[in-house]
Amino acid sequence: MIYVIEDDRGWESYYRRLLKRDDVKYFHDGVAAIAEMDGEVPDLVILDVLLTGPTGFAVLNEMRSYPELMNVPAAIVSSVSLGDNIAEKYGVVATFDKGKMQPSELLELVGRYA
Amino acid sequence: MESEVVVAHELKAPLSLVRQLALSLDFEEDMKGVHEVGRQIVATSERALQQVNDLTRIARLEDAMFEMEPVNPRVVCDEVVDELWRLFEFNRRELRIEYRNKRRLVVANPQLLHSVVYNFCLNAMNYGGEELPSEISVIDRANKIRIAVRDYGPAVPTKIWREIKDGFVNKPVATPMRPGSSGLGLYIAAKFANYMGSDFGLIRHRDGTSFYIDLPVSGQLSFL
Repeated sequence: MIYVIEDDRGWESYYRRLLKRDDVKYFHDGVAAIAEMDGEVPDLVILDVLLTGPTGFAVLNEMRSYPELMNVPAAIVSSVSLGDNIAEKYGVVATFDKGKMQPSELLELVGRYA
Repeated sequence: MESEVVVAHELKAPLSLVRQLALSLDFEEDMKGVHEVGRQIVATSERALQQVNDLTRIARLEDAMFEMEPVNPRVVCDEVVDELWRLFEFNRRELRIEYRNKRRLVVANPQLLHSVVYNFCLNAMNYGGEELPSEISVIDRANKIRIAVRDYGPAVPTKIWREIKDGFVNKPVATPMRPGSSGLGLYIAAKFANYMGSDFGLIRHRDGTSFYIDLPVSGQLSFL
């Protein structure tokens, strides 16, 4: 199962069209996503940084505090400029700039983990 | 500098989405999908253009370029709904309109009033709760007409509420509660409402917020 945490409905619509998969759950805030992870460990989490409520970083910190979620692959897709050490600090497998990424990169990522 | 960063971020969001949607056309399997993506590109571009136009208008406010005239508020609201319904649809939202006023005219600048209502609606779209509508109401209030846009989203942060109640919205402010909406739209609406000498404010409901603008009724009879 893939979790996409994105509060911009326009971007959600984009993900839905591009991924075209049934095994994707969409969340508009991190709290709902974390609650869902209580009963299910996703194969991949794709999340924005600036979310309604807790930020994507807070979500990642929360995930990493649970043993069963500690190693779940996560990728950041955001308009926010991210520092070089973000991947290492939050244990993410990829970071994408919304203004620069290619759809094929996202598809490749999804194909690799889920 | 903080304001410039907020504005830049606000404009980057739709531009990034437009670029991404355009790139994704290669992955559409049929013409129906291509057309659908095309419509989303148009709707998202128009939103960005509206923001740029509003920012340009703010720069021109000091030159007193915008004259006041009798305006039919229903026409303005209908135009906004016509421009935004597709964007609402792509954002899985619904925009409703309800007229509870006589067909009277208000004194306003049509461009600026259009922008105020447009930004109220965008704010409602960004803040609105899941699967819940946003509602435009046009209401008679003695010698004024109120145009209100209601959402059913989370409460507006107290800091923003106070600034608006005090008529003190001097810059766009990013709020951690609602980063999808940086406050730029409310800043624009407040600027234009202030220029037109109209009252601008909000009502906090238990299940959402209404932003409103009160406009004086024109002595001129309605054209309709």
